[in-house]
Amino acid sequence: MVKKQRGKTDSSPKNMDREEHAAHFNDSSDEEAPDEVTFEDSKAQALRSMARAIETVRREKELLKEKRRKRQELFQEQKKRKLLPADVLEEIDSSPSKKHKASGSEAEEKQQEAGEETEQRRKKKKRKSPHSRNLKGSYTVTTTKAQTTSFQQQAAADFIQSRLYGPGSCRTTNNEMLSLQNKKAPNKTAAVQFVKKDWACKQKAKAEKEKKRWIHKQKLATC
Amino acid sequence: MGEFKVHRVRFFDYMPSAIRAMAFHDPTEQLALARADGAVEIFNFSDNYFQEKVIPGRDGRAIEALCWAGRRLFSAGLNGEVTEYDLETLRPRYSLEAYGGPVWTLSCNRQGTLLAVGCEDGTVKVFDVLPEKIQFQKNLDRQKGRIMSLSWHPDGTRIAAGTMDMVRIFDAETGGATRRLLVERGPGAARSREVVVWSVVFLSDGTVVSGDSAGKVQVWDSATGTLVQTHPVSKWDVLALAASRDESSLLAGSSEGLVVQFQLLAPAAGRQERQWVRTRTFRNHSHDVRALVHSDTAVVSGGMDTQLVVRPLLDKVEKNTQESAMRKIMFPHRSLVRCVKKAGLLLFQFSDHLELWRLGDSDALGKPGERLPVKRKPEKLLQLKRKGEDHICCSSLSPCGSWLVYSTVSSVRLYRLQRDTHNMSLHKVSRLPRELRCVQQLCFSSDSSRLFASSSQSSVVVVALNQQEVKHLHTLRPKAGSSQPVHLLSPSEDGKWLATASTDGQIHVYDLHKLKVRLHCTLPVHSSCPTAIAIHPTTCCLISAHADQQVFEFSLLQKEYTAWSRALQKQGLHPAWLHRDTPVTHITFNPGNAAHVLMHDAFMFCIIDQSLPLPAAQTKLLNQMTLKSLPAADRLRQSHAFKICKNFQHLLCVDLLDERSLVVVERPLLDIQSQLPAPVRQKKFAT
Repeated sequence: MVKKQRGKTDSSPKNMDREEHAAHFNDSSDEEAPDEVTFEDSKAQALRSMARAIETVRREKELLKEKRRKRQELFQEQKKRKLLPADVLEEIDSSPSKKHKASGSEAEEKQQEAGEETEQRRKKKKRKSPHSRNLKGSYTVTTTKAQTTSFQQQAAADFIQSRLYGPGSCRTTNNEMLSLQNKKAPNKTAAVQFVKKDWACKQKAKAEKEKKRWIHKQKLATC
Repeated sequence: MGEFKVHRVRFFDYMPSAIRAMAFHDPTEQLALARADGAVEIFNFSDNYFQEKVIPGRDGRAIEALCWAGRRLFSAGLNGEVTEYDLETLRPRYSLEAYGGPVWTLSCNRQGTLLAVGCEDGTVKVFDVLPEKIQFQKNLDRQKGRIMSLSWHPDGTRIAAGTMDMVRIFDAETGGATRRLLVERGPGAARSREVVVWSVVFLSDGTVVSGDSAGKVQVWDSATGTLVQTHPVSKWDVLALAASRDESSLLAGSSEGLVVQFQLLAPAAGRQERQWVRTRTFRNHSHDVRALVHSDTAVVSGGMDTQLVVRPLLDKVEKNTQESAMRKIMFPHRSLVRCVKKAGLLLFQFSDHLELWRLGDSDALGKPGERLPVKRKPEKLLQLKRKGEDHICCSSLSPCGSWLVYSTVSSVRLYRLQRDTHNMSLHKVSRLPRELRCVQQLCFSSDSSRLFASSSQSSVVVVALNQQEVKHLHTLRPKAGSSQPVHLLSPSEDGKWLATASTDGQIHVYDLHKLKVRLHCTLPVHSSCPTAIAIHPTTCCLISAHADQQVFEFSLLQKEYTAWSRALQKQGLHPAWLHRDTPVTHITFNPGNAAHVLMHDAFMFCIIDQSLPLPAAQTKLLNQMTLKSLPAADRLRQSHAFKICKNFQHLLCVDLLDERSLVVVERPLLDIQSQLPAPVRQKKFAT
């Protein structure tokens, strides 16, 4: 019964198709004679279709190659990522006390920030954003956040930036302006800022150390 | 005055944002000012230039133009939206997409019924101003280039629009372009570059004035479409123009920070026809002037150097009086710093993050004026980035140092801080009561068990805090229906009182210890807005400082002004005190001496000793140096109540940590100036 039905359902559209084709054929034959196709034309067509087939095969191969290459890269990257903590661990193992002392406050801050981050991440895992929805399988649909600055807005901001600060606007730097002011002022003072903030790090650190030592000495002397 | 160990704090990197647009409301003398970060500020010029309201900015809301339509304030920006602001809840009321790309300019006709908006795509769109909203009415003829500036003819029939390379005159009724005024490009290499008409002004006699990127101010006749006059003003751009209300004077602001005044004068005596003559030049800015307003008596200018400058015109005001003095407003008239006294913590509020610092320490002793060596350096404990796009509008740190709260226009976030010697952790309190939604000011009670938040309709929300939960207790409302926002909150030390001040000048005091919390009293309303209030911890007197520099003391128990306050009003404050040009932003008390009140503005801090006689008007107010040189007997006779220290300048906060130590937060202007965008290169002689 089931078979029969299936057979029927299978056959009926085919039949209809065939009928339709027939009807179509009949129609065309009624109205006009079949088009004449020259040998050259049909040959060219066959060649073209062959070329197309070759092309698609080639493209597929290339795509496959590309995919493989990407996978390979991904693997390598993952491997590297896995390797990194080991290095860090080694480094930490080799000099644990020095590092800890050197960056007291900074490490604290970082740690704290990291704590926050992990906390946030945990939250994200626990509760997805309210705009997302789970579908069957591993797909989710989410509404993307509207871009804060649209392309047009960016273009407009760039326009005003280029008109006021772009080439041909004859701008100088604040540092230069302030040093000119200083130069023209009745009483000259030290330069407002150096170009490089991290200038002479070592010397500065050394000076700091010396200062501490000196303060300590002073204290001892007064006691 | 006593000796203090001073923590001189210079690590608050507060950076104000550049001024982008201004609009002046003549009837109320209010100035609306938009900054580059999207914040809008309202200054009241009739109340000593006090910054009454601040609407915090938002990422991506790049405001390009502001305008008043009657008492309503509109802005438009590069995000392509026209926004109306609610000046009572201090937030945008609604935003309407103009559908013409980024909006460069906005102009309202003199009747306040139509709003013209100039867009990037070259259209001028006209909106109807309806009671509750605005509605699109029509487009004027579309132009090729972007519309950079707009100006209505005072009778509302024509509109002048400045675009690339030309000025167009439109008929406002039909929307057709009637005239096309071609603006000449700059000389030399600039000839290949389009000239931008940054600003136009349409005067009632049909004259159109344009300021362009070639540095010219040009006067046109709109009836014939001809050029009448050209004034080369600058080698760079003329960025802003403004005309006075009687149209006899015109201002042009340029890239090198100049403001040039033109006046309509007869060129020779006895001749009838008048023309625009360049008369004065004001050099008050180091960077580009982006916004200008010509009020009846003064030139108001602002720009990339973030300062608002009010320069009175000396032919309009009386000379050598306080109103003829120039004003520079560089800091907000509210406190961005919170100080926790016991733990020595400072909370700094930036527009996009908060910073928590621990003060340094020194155990050395020194003579007055000496620098002490620092044993422990100040340390940044925490930097908390805000969530979302809205900028932070207020923040607070509890006196115990374990609660941190900040609010934006859309939300309030409360955090619990846990500190031990090395570690610090921060937990967000997840469920806040529904009432904490739209908040303008935040404050903790002195025992850190309550959080006060000022909300809409000048109400105050009281929230109980403990480790387990955060619970809404009650909402305090004043009796009379006032709709102005509360901008100051001050709880008393013992937790019994809460004082609130709103921008219409009303000060209410609530009694929190009664079973049913209720309004205790309302102070008599002074004509000027309060800028700082505080309740004395022992005498239960409320001290208020106002924008016109008056100081009052009100006894909460007797519900009347105290004898000291009456004496002060009777004798009058010292003229030198009244002539200061920044408001008092913080009042605090000395725990060691009940008679000492400490208050500060941007240029000085003052300890008022209520036990000493008040200074007479003839004596010197700033007499610390003379007192020092006098023998002890004379010193007692000469000393008066106001002890002023000006050693520290550009103050953002002064607070007493304990009886003997003081924290002073400075922000030197030079530090701000060195971080501004690039100025133009000017040739100075002999450099």
